[in-house]
Amino acid sequence: MGLSMFALSRRSDARFAPARSSAELPPSFLGSGIRVRGVLEIEGELTIQGFVAGRIAALKLIIAPGGRVEGDIVAREVVVSGNLNGRIFAPNVTVEETAHIDGRIFHNTITVARGAHFDGRMPWRPVNFFETLDQLPETQP
Amino acid sequence: MTIFNRNDNKPADSKLSAIDALQTPKPTEQPRPQAYAQPLSPPAKTGASMASVISKALKITGQLESTEDIQIDGEIDGDVRGVGVKIGNNAKVKGTVYGDEVELAGTIDGRIEAKKVILTGTARMSGDVSHQDIKIESGAFIDGNLKPDFGKTAGSKPTVAPFKPVAAVAPATPDKSAEARH
Repeated sequence: MGLSMFALSRRSDARFAPARSSAELPPSFLGSGIRVRGVLEIEGELTIQGFVAGRIAALKLIIAPGGRVEGDIVAREVVVSGNLNGRIFAPNVTVEETAHIDGRIFHNTITVARGAHFDGRMPWRPVNFFETLDQLPETQP
Repeated sequence: MTIFNRNDNKPADSKLSAIDALQTPKPTEQPRPQAYAQPLSPPAKTGASMASVISKALKITGQLESTEDIQIDGEIDGDVRGVGVKIGNNAKVKGTVYGDEVELAGTIDGRIEAKKVILTGTARMSGDVSHQDIKIESGAFIDGNLKPDFGKTAGSKPTVAPFKPVAAVAPATPDKSAEARH
């Protein structure tokens, strides 16, 4: 009962809630010297300062200045201050002024800072689009 | 113009005086600011010198390499290359771990190739270990061969080697990687 309630409430205000359970789980950090190729799945927060090629599924993803990602990102919240070549599927997206993005941002709410480099499209999607995202064939590896 | 000025000034003045009247007795009642020996919030983390942390919530399928230290508490299905690699208590690695120094407290299903290897009491090692220097604490589980041949045989590779392509990478990612462009 308690669990289902939690799942329900999480779903209903997924748009506004900051990545809630990220506080309980220790955040992951990929430093500037790291290079990862493959699929990353995390139930909490992930900060990338290094280079990642592949698919990322996270609750909250931060691409720090100097970080570089090539591939698709599925998350509840994404903050980009670094480089991205690929697609973002996230209800909350923030693009900082140091960001450099080539690709698409599927979003529900987005902030783009003045000075950010963005080449591509940013299609708006309703909140429920992001709830069924895991089943979308295009977000599968 | 004068009309505007008059109208603007009047309410502003009356407001100000009202606020003044309210506020004048207050400053004496307010507690004096206290001096703190330490800053209230810890200084922001500087990311540049931080080692990578793969927390227990993170699962990586693929390859990972770093020119820095790595702390692994999560699950990795693939090879790990680092300088100092610490594999925590509940961590799982399926693949080969290369490094200068590898400290294992979790589980490895694969190989270790490192100059210095430490297997703590909670370590579970299924596979061979190639090392120069090894420390095994009581309680460690080892199912494999230990060979002090790191750096001697042709088979052991340098600590950081170029990427091999991985089939698991998303198809949307073009194979022209960062190295090719920069």
